[in-house]
Amino acid sequence: MKEYKILFSGTPGAGKTTAIGAVSEIPPVVTDVPNTDPGYAKAYTTVGLDYGQLTLDTGDCLRLFGTPGQARFDFLWRILGRNALGLIILLDNSRPNPLADLEIYINGFGEALRSMPCVIGVGRHDQGNTALDDYGLWLMERNMILPVLPVDVRRRADVVLLIDVLLAELEFHIRKGECSHVE
Amino acid sequence: MSNEQQIRRIASREVQKIAKELHGVSSVVIATVDGFDIASIGLDGEDPGRIAAMASSVSAIGSVISQEESLGRSRSVTIATDTGFAYLSCAYLPDQTLILNVIADQDAVLGQVAYRCAESVRRLEAVA
Repeated sequence: MKEYKILFSGTPGAGKTTAIGAVSEIPPVVTDVPNTDPGYAKAYTTVGLDYGQLTLDTGDCLRLFGTPGQARFDFLWRILGRNALGLIILLDNSRPNPLADLEIYINGFGEALRSMPCVIGVGRHDQGNTALDDYGLWLMERNMILPVLPVDVRRRADVVLLIDVLLAELEFHIRKGECSHVE
Repeated sequence: MSNEQQIRRIASREVQKIAKELHGVSSVVIATVDGFDIASIGLDGEDPGRIAAMASSVSAIGSVISQEESLGRSRSVTIATDTGFAYLSCAYLPDQTLILNVIADQDAVLGQVAYRCAESVRRLEAVA
């Protein structure tokens, strides 16, 4: 049995904790505390990490780690990103400027993204003024091509689809010999 | 004076006193549980916001371990290093939790810092 580490990051309130909880086979480890930041309309926020596990049909185990979303916790992005095979960035399309949000994580994981597959999951995609295509265009302007999918993180099937796409990306990277984390 | 103002006043006083009374302390930060500093003194120019965020993460992970092992509420976390230590203690107020962080070098005595921090925590927790 092989074990793979997958990282969930993205905007506070986009649903990283919920996404991991939706697919984890074990009670997820959460480090949520009461939120005092008026910039995010949520009662609780993750300040440490989320952790869950998912076994694939092959018997391989995915270890799912979630980061805090706020940039003041970016030291944890680097720590939790070590040895991760892939990254899922979750965004909230109802926020005022979700593309600016995306930029935070693209820059925050900039170095790692050179060798690590990444998928973008856009929540509340039917709200706000940013179309899914806008994300793709924004990425292409920066010479990046990443899958962008609408997602409702409360739905297990949606989260599994994100993971499936990420694993497909991973396979592609391995074939191209670009993935530096596979031993 | 509102309860919040009173907490900040006491927090500000405690960080000053800890820095003044203890040898080897390089910074003292009192943070909210989600990582915002409400009072700080940085003797070596450290960014208190950064320390507050890191303390929040470390404290949260300490709390998870306490819960998983049914050890009750986490009261403190010590990170001992080659050249000093970081000591984090939790103050459980009626409406919120605060984290008192002391960063110290090898001149500081861990037991003394722990004792002094417990005193500050008691003062913060006494705010009605």
